[in-house]
Amino acid sequence: MTDATFSSRAITKRPIDWWRWSGRVFLVFLLLFTVLPMVWMVLTSIKTQFAAMQYPPQWWPAEPTLQNYARLLDPSNSVGQEFLRYFWNSFYVALTTTVIGVVVAVPAAYAFSRFRFPGRTFLFFSVLLRNMFPAVVFLMPLFLLMRWLGLVNTHGSLILTYLTFGLPLSIWLLKGFYDNIPIQLEQAARIDGATRFQAFILIVMPLSSPGIIATSIFSFIGAWNEYVYAYTFLSKQESMTLPVGIQRFFTEFATDWPGLMAATFLMSVPVVVLFLVLQKYFVRALTEGAVKN
Amino acid sequence: MAEVVLKEVVKHYGAHIAVNHVSLTVGDGEFVALVGPSGCGKTTTLNLVAGLIPMSGGEIHIADRLVNDLDPKDRDIAMVFQNYALYPNKSVYKNLAFPLQMRKLAKPDIDAKVKEAARVLDITHLLERRPRELSGGQQQRVALGRALVRDPAVFLMDEPLSNLDAKLRVQMRSELKRFHQDLHTTVIYVTHDQLEAVTMADKMAVMSGGFLQQYDAPDMVFAKPVNTFVAGFIGSPAMSLVPVQVVRKGDAVWLRSVDGWEFELSAENGHKALSATSDKVVLGARHSTLRIHKSAEPGTVPGRVYIVEPTGDVTFAQVKLGASIIIVSLDPHFPIAPDEPVFVEFNQNKLHLFDGETQMALAAA
Ligand SMILES: Nc1ncnc2c1ncn2[C@@H]1O[C@H](COP(=O)(O)OP(=O)(O)OP(=O)(O)O)[C@@H](O)[C@H]1O
Ligand SMILES: [Mg+2]
Repeated sequence: MTDATFSSRAITKRPIDWWRWSGRVFLVFLLLFTVLPMVWMVLTSIKTQFAAMQYPPQWWPAEPTLQNYARLLDPSNSVGQEFLRYFWNSFYVALTTTVIGVVVAVPAAYAFSRFRFPGRTFLFFSVLLRNMFPAVVFLMPLFLLMRWLGLVNTHGSLILTYLTFGLPLSIWLLKGFYDNIPIQLEQAARIDGATRFQAFILIVMPLSSPGIIATSIFSFIGAWNEYVYAYTFLSKQESMTLPVGIQRFFTEFATDWPGLMAATFLMSVPVVVLFLVLQKYFVRALTEGAVKN
Repeated sequence: MAEVVLKEVVKHYGAHIAVNHVSLTVGDGEFVALVGPSGCGKTTTLNLVAGLIPMSGGEIHIADRLVNDLDPKDRDIAMVFQNYALYPNKSVYKNLAFPLQMRKLAKPDIDAKVKEAARVLDITHLLERRPRELSGGQQQRVALGRALVRDPAVFLMDEPLSNLDAKLRVQMRSELKRFHQDLHTTVIYVTHDQLEAVTMADKMAVMSGGFLQQYDAPDMVFAKPVNTFVAGFIGSPAMSLVPVQVVRKGDAVWLRSVDGWEFELSAENGHKALSATSDKVVLGARHSTLRIHKSAEPGTVPGRVYIVEPTGDVTFAQVKLGASIIIVSLDPHFPIAPDEPVFVEFNQNKLHLFDGETQMALAAA
């Protein structure tokens, strides 16, 4: 009798465990797949030039050094100057894209969510039209457009392009947020003495801040990482952004693997920091969606 | 003096007319209940008074001011929403303080008023909580508090009790009524629970399909419904309505059903019946005015018991008169069983007659 219950329990349990374990194995594999290259990147970046080229490779650097980082971050030598300029360019482009993106997407999404105006559906779907095509399809047309506008080799060309690509997603995401904020909250605020604008600023904006933060992260990362357009639109060395600039490093100092890895590591720092600081809101934005009453 | 006057108020949504030429006057300090079935335009009417949505036509006056073009904030009103609409990211204290802050009161005054409102509503211990940490009843009190702190000229309430459980609803109903007695502020109160309307309101506005059907004191609406809609809507259970035909037999006037039964009307009711535009009328009778007999008596009509519903205090019996069903209330001890043949007697002084074509109540000429 006891035997029977035992075995039957074991039988009913086994499939669940099996699934759970295969899931865990899969996740561990995925984790290794994403983390190992980064670990290798960090390890290489603290090796000396010589150690990086050795075969068989040194798994752990024999004499770890921060010299590569020091060189990149030191504005007194030419490498440092160059790197810091790329870094600043990237930061400037990404931040401007993000700020303008939010300033445009917030009112646009709010209008799509709250107002019924002629052409609303048409406009909304035409906003999404861009996303139906791969980004590279627009490379030449946009380049011609930028040349015509005289924006080639300016950061403005990149900011405009990134906005074109980032805004639809931002607007779509934020509209979902506003849709989920009951209109009665604004009505209550207006009765309580707020103007329409005050109701938006004081009541709706704070409630949608997770969404605003999430969209900001999206557009910042998108602009920070973008390569193809930056490579096409910018040819002057002093205006290049990090992804393009680092690639130049790569060709100029052809074998400087540690230097390249250090630069790449530094490039990923802002994104990681941004994520860690704001991840609470980010997760909330993607899971909760909004406020439930 | 905060009188609210609606003149020929219209609201279109595209081709759909949500509020159709509604005119009514809510006297200063009056408690008016807006009742009607779902989708009849109650919330829309209230939102028009509040100024939350633009009007398509007509005029609204609050306290002798034409408010058509005034923002909600300038109308000196407060509103309690059906879903309470508490600001989820603010504490209860800040929820209550918000209307006062927006009106630029000094901090100490705000504090005093918030504390006073919280005391009155017995929510002092909840002031630091967020709305989501409150029960439905507590949220309801906070919503009420946010309306009370400002002491506005007019209170607008959109089904404020509909999200509460039955017991709490009854309790809050009496509390609301007491508040109104104490404050004597004008109140427009939307509800689809007519018991709420009858127990609390000085006057009742019955709406249907965007039209105002009847606007009167609850007992008058109950006693003299102007048409079959109001008759069938007000009262629980509602009035039984049976379409019949008027036939003259010499001097006497009879009502005859297509199912074969007939009975003679009193002289007064006969007059009413003859004033109808055709020979079709609708006979209405409330459950309490009908009597059941076990055997045929003069003036009774035969029927068959369909369902017996004991409720404790009274027993309701649904009786089939041919194809129509009428509801009769009985003493709980009255012996009655489903499918039993019975005879129904109409009280001539309390039956209602409506024009079969226009559906309007027939009055003695
Ligand atoms: N924004 C809108 N756009 C289009 N039609 C609307 C809108 N708001 C309300 N309506 C329509 O107007 C009519 C009246 O709506 P309203 O909300 O006033 O009903 P109600 O009497 O409050 O009903 P309930 O008891 O269900 O709350 C309904 O038929 C509704 O479909
Ligand atoms: Mg409603």
